[in-house]
Amino acid sequence: MATEYVKFVDVTKCDGCRACMVACKNWNDLPAEPQDFLGSAQSHAKTTADTWNVLQYIEHENSRGGLDYLFRHSACFHCTDAACEKVCPEDAISYTDFGTVVIDHEKCVGCGYCVNNCPFEVISLKEYVDKNGDKYRKANKCTMCTDRLEEGLQPACVTTCHTEAMQFGDKAVMIQKAEERVKQIKDRYPNAMVYNPQGVGGTHTVYVLAEKPSVYGLPENPKVPTSAVVWKDYAQPIGKMMIGATTMAVVGAFITNTIISKKKNGKNENGGDSHE
Amino acid sequence: MQYTDCALIMGANPAENHPISFRWLTKAKENGGKIVSVDPRYTRTSSMSDIYAPLRSGTDIPFIGGMIKYALDNNLYHKEYVAKYTNASFIVKESYKFEDGLFSGYNADKRSYDKTQWAFEKDAEGNLVKDFSLEHPRSVFQLMKKHYTRYDVDTVVKVTGTPKEDLLNVYKAFCATGQVGKAGTIMYAMGTTQHTVGTQNVRAFAIIQLLLGNIGLPGGGVNAMRGESNVQGSTDFGLLYGNLTGYLNAPTSIDPLNATLAGHLEKETPKTGYWSNKPKFIVSLLKAWYGPNATAANEFAYQYLPKGNKNYSHINLFKAMYDGKLEGAFLFGTNPVVGGPNAGKEKEALSNLKWLVAVDLWETETSAFWQTDAGSNPAKINTEVFLLPACSSYEKEGSISNSARWMQYRWQAIKPLGESKADLEIINELATRIKGLYKNEAGPVAEPINALYWSYGEGHHPDIDLVCKEINGYDVNTGKLIAGFGNLKDDGSTCSGNWIYCGFYPEEGKNRAKNRDKKDTGMSLYLNWSYAWPMNRRILYNRASCDPSGVPYNKEKAVVWYDAVQGKWTGVDVPDFVATRKPGDAGFEDPFIMMNDGVGGVYAPTLNDGPFPEHYEPYESPVQNPFSSQEINPAIQLFDGKFNERGFKADFPIVATTYRVSEHWQSGTMTRNQEWLSELVPHMYIEISEELAKEKGINNKDEVIVSSARGEVKAYAMVTKRFKPHKINGKNVHQIGMPWHFGYKGIATGETANRLTPHIGDANTTIPEYKAFLCDVRKV
Amino acid sequence: MSKPQKSSVKVRRFSKAFVWAHAVNAISFFALYITALPMYTEFFDWLYPILGGPEGARLLHRIFAVGFITPTFIWVIFDFKGFKLWMKELVTWKKRDLEFFTEFVKELFGFNFKHVRQTFFNAGEKINSIIQIFTAILIIGSGFPMWFPQFFPRAVVQWGYLLHNVGFGLAIAVIVGHVYLSVVHKNSRPGYSGVVTGEVPAWWAQEHYPDWYDEEVAKGNFPKLDDPHKPTTPGTPGTPNKKKKKGA
Repeated sequence: MATEYVKFVDVTKCDGCRACMVACKNWNDLPAEPQDFLGSAQSHAKTTADTWNVLQYIEHENSRGGLDYLFRHSACFHCTDAACEKVCPEDAISYTDFGTVVIDHEKCVGCGYCVNNCPFEVISLKEYVDKNGDKYRKANKCTMCTDRLEEGLQPACVTTCHTEAMQFGDKAVMIQKAEERVKQIKDRYPNAMVYNPQGVGGTHTVYVLAEKPSVYGLPENPKVPTSAVVWKDYAQPIGKMMIGATTMAVVGAFITNTIISKKKNGKNENGGDSHE
Repeated sequence: MQYTDCALIMGANPAENHPISFRWLTKAKENGGKIVSVDPRYTRTSSMSDIYAPLRSGTDIPFIGGMIKYALDNNLYHKEYVAKYTNASFIVKESYKFEDGLFSGYNADKRSYDKTQWAFEKDAEGNLVKDFSLEHPRSVFQLMKKHYTRYDVDTVVKVTGTPKEDLLNVYKAFCATGQVGKAGTIMYAMGTTQHTVGTQNVRAFAIIQLLLGNIGLPGGGVNAMRGESNVQGSTDFGLLYGNLTGYLNAPTSIDPLNATLAGHLEKETPKTGYWSNKPKFIVSLLKAWYGPNATAANEFAYQYLPKGNKNYSHINLFKAMYDGKLEGAFLFGTNPVVGGPNAGKEKEALSNLKWLVAVDLWETETSAFWQTDAGSNPAKINTEVFLLPACSSYEKEGSISNSARWMQYRWQAIKPLGESKADLEIINELATRIKGLYKNEAGPVAEPINALYWSYGEGHHPDIDLVCKEINGYDVNTGKLIAGFGNLKDDGSTCSGNWIYCGFYPEEGKNRAKNRDKKDTGMSLYLNWSYAWPMNRRILYNRASCDPSGVPYNKEKAVVWYDAVQGKWTGVDVPDFVATRKPGDAGFEDPFIMMNDGVGGVYAPTLNDGPFPEHYEPYESPVQNPFSSQEINPAIQLFDGKFNERGFKADFPIVATTYRVSEHWQSGTMTRNQEWLSELVPHMYIEISEELAKEKGINNKDEVIVSSARGEVKAYAMVTKRFKPHKINGKNVHQIGMPWHFGYKGIATGETANRLTPHIGDANTTIPEYKAFLCDVRKV
Repeated sequence: MSKPQKSSVKVRRFSKAFVWAHAVNAISFFALYITALPMYTEFFDWLYPILGGPEGARLLHRIFAVGFITPTFIWVIFDFKGFKLWMKELVTWKKRDLEFFTEFVKELFGFNFKHVRQTFFNAGEKINSIIQIFTAILIIGSGFPMWFPQFFPRAVVQWGYLLHNVGFGLAIAVIVGHVYLSVVHKNSRPGYSGVVTGEVPAWWAQEHYPDWYDEEVAKGNFPKLDDPHKPTTPGTPGTPNKKKKKGA
């Protein structure tokens, strides 16, 4: 059993250098995808199938009337209760012992359910072309470099971060660090908080945010969508039961009909059985 | 830097351009240090800072001049340090005057000063006259005080546009480091130097740091954040046109003393200070270059050194090219069509060359200047262009020297791709073949080439170890490596290619640039990681961290001290001092050993544009200089005519500046050809305030045209809250900024900002004024 | 067992348009079912290679999804009258419709039962239709945001998944019964020809939908059947019915 790890991102130490973005592409061999000019320093509007982490740049007029230029390394949160894992119809998404949430491309059929159910909108589909020229899709997102973790390394983004805005380690230790850090920076950032949303059972990317989550475009109280819970925990099992029940009913009907028909063979007493 | 109590970042944006430095600033913050960011725009650095103050580009001297006055008025300076360790106590000759922006000795025709008028007063025996009470009216201290009386807060605010409250916050925070035991550091980069007063901007930093006693201690200093990883190495090795290696001056024939080696040595060597050893360095250098051909009889081949009299700076070279006075050029890893000032003219100038050899990783905008893509008509250009593919740093071996003067060895990771070659190999080939061509010839052209001692092995690629040994120096008779520059001789028995590095390779098999010991040897100095010149000292002038008796001002952050028991200087750093100097010895209390007088120069009578920094407006400015009737630096060289059109406020009312981003490097040759970096910053843009955008009807993401007297550039508008108009004398002065990385080659392309910048340079270094010029903006 | 004199007479129950619409609907539904099965449960993952992988399945599912939407239009365009009747029947409920169900259950399992007089559609068919319409709306309505998530708010897409699933679950349950009755169950099996050819045995029609049959007889469209074996003939032939039935 591996240790449960957390990537602790302290956005107040981040200087926006974007080395994490390059390190990610380098390790995961992801192609560049240049965008149109977005009107700010930000390169991509959000994470995509080929850009697993995006550095956000936010000009924010704070509560004291001053200007803050906020940065956030945005990537998969690796939720403890991951909506993506819940809705995946192919069991292609699973939890690892490290606490990371990974997609098995062998099983992924590219349905996109995870894409649309992720409360943080960090999963994207990518279109591939096989050797016959046929197109197919797979869901992609940050893996927390689970392949590196297996080799005893840290995620590429963490390794490259030079201001220690990102640290990787034992879950409890990281969360404690985050809580202590918030206390230190309350003067400068009165709205500072630890973002480890419990609506998804806590996450394995835990943030110290300088401002309220909404300033970063994050949900204040993210959770697995109710629709997904109803769907997967109720509708689908009940649906399967219903299909079973109906099938059982018709099978039963067939059997009873056959038996009754045999019994009544030749008698033809009732009108109800006189047709074929 | 992690030991600093306050880091003043001015003319630099390390969070974006020198990110690694921010690792240490983050630590400083954790240790309770403050970070102050002064910049025309709110940058990523500003966001990481405790205090931010805006200023208009080109007003650093008023900003710091005001701080000098603030420190003096409020008695915040380090009194002992100022009196003992600086030249504040020196008396200046009566001929020194300052009036209406001009120092005495000005010659308006030549646009230069007679600097002898600023000299220090000496007594009959030639000794300096000092007044340690600092009260003599002609003492440097009193002259300085008088000079900066005019830089009162209200005047400063009117010029810089800095809100008064912010200005005072900065002054207060930084001047608090004048307290004994505190350390403040100043970090600067091209935002400071690329001005017509660039050198004086840095001088202003030096003055305030000397006043606050911030030089020579951990967490102190004036730190140049280098524009390239090896700028330090380049200048150490003679890249600057006025230098040989190791900051030895290149002889010019205009001075008759330079006619002979003896005369040159006499002229160059001061009586006091460490430079009194200069002849040993010069002769050892000549021995390295000319080997056995340098003998006492032929003045160690001194006569083979070229003795040009001109200013060979970038702008002047291109002026000569523009005027058709240059036939050919070698451009090693340089891309002036993107990176040069007034780049459009530099491109035109290239077409006057007969031949151009470009050595680079990719075909750049410069080596392709003749192509249709560049907007040229190839039929009309007669320049023959050779492109030699160079290999990248990962494909070769060698060293680079960083801002902290560490010479760090790097090994080859992969073999050069294709036909690319290391610069060293290209130069070696060039030298050996040229020598081959002249081998059987004689005469003034052939002689120096034949005399050149070029012996770095037999292969195409020179033996780097031989190069390293020559840099360090060895005994020419025994071949034994020299342990340190203290052992160099002026009799021709030693050689050293660069005296400041002498000692990095003290004995066979011990190239200390290759040291990689990660153990902290105390105060995070890591003495066994690489090699820092001189003699592995990590903090220059560290003697100044101790009081005159040799006791550290801050015992918790002590790096060196005088150990009375051992009777010598010791510590966790290598003392930048004569370790055996004892109390009572001459010079025991003079920490600045490279200065002739052993003290820091609050007053610098050697610069071209005055001994004290004085504010002049940039070459192009929308504002009148309130300090004097001298609008621009009176000592700068002017270039006129078509080579340098000048813009004025009426047509171009907006201040513009250029800068870099983390993702691109210099002219973008390396990064704009790298797709992962190109995708991060794929477009040329300008940053513009919401206020100016509104005035001009520009929306975020619109395409705009930026124009200056030199040209026009198309870019996207990034409308941002991070730029605000400056309130100058009650009126709004707008400023925009733009990255200068873009060109038409590579993956990320865009128009070149430097088509807008002027051909004008600093009075001492001729570094171009990229950071403040005038422009206008309109929507496409 | 068969009574040849009965089977020879056929009457038209459904229009060609309906037959087509029904066929398209049925084929699409099952195709959609098959192409979705491996997504619904991993038990059917072996279907992927047959369907041309997830991409093939997805493509087919979308093609048949379009097919699934068309029956309504086919029926409306080519047989608006029939469509209108259907709609009308669906909203018309009487006491006897409820009575029908108790008898239906007996019939379903082969027990003795009596025919409850029914109009063009019997109550079972009406329930079937209503559930089918409801589930079709669910499935089609939710299918659009699933197909084109980029044009819909995320919440709509997320609820879409659930509704698609619910709709499918309901539909399949009903359809299993529907298919059983039409294809397997002996009493209703003759009705099967109605959705294939449009015609059903007259005696069967009269027995199952006496109100309708009698009305058509009264109009002179259908032959009057004389069936001595018919044990029960509840109601009176030719009884005026307030509802206008326009089966044709």
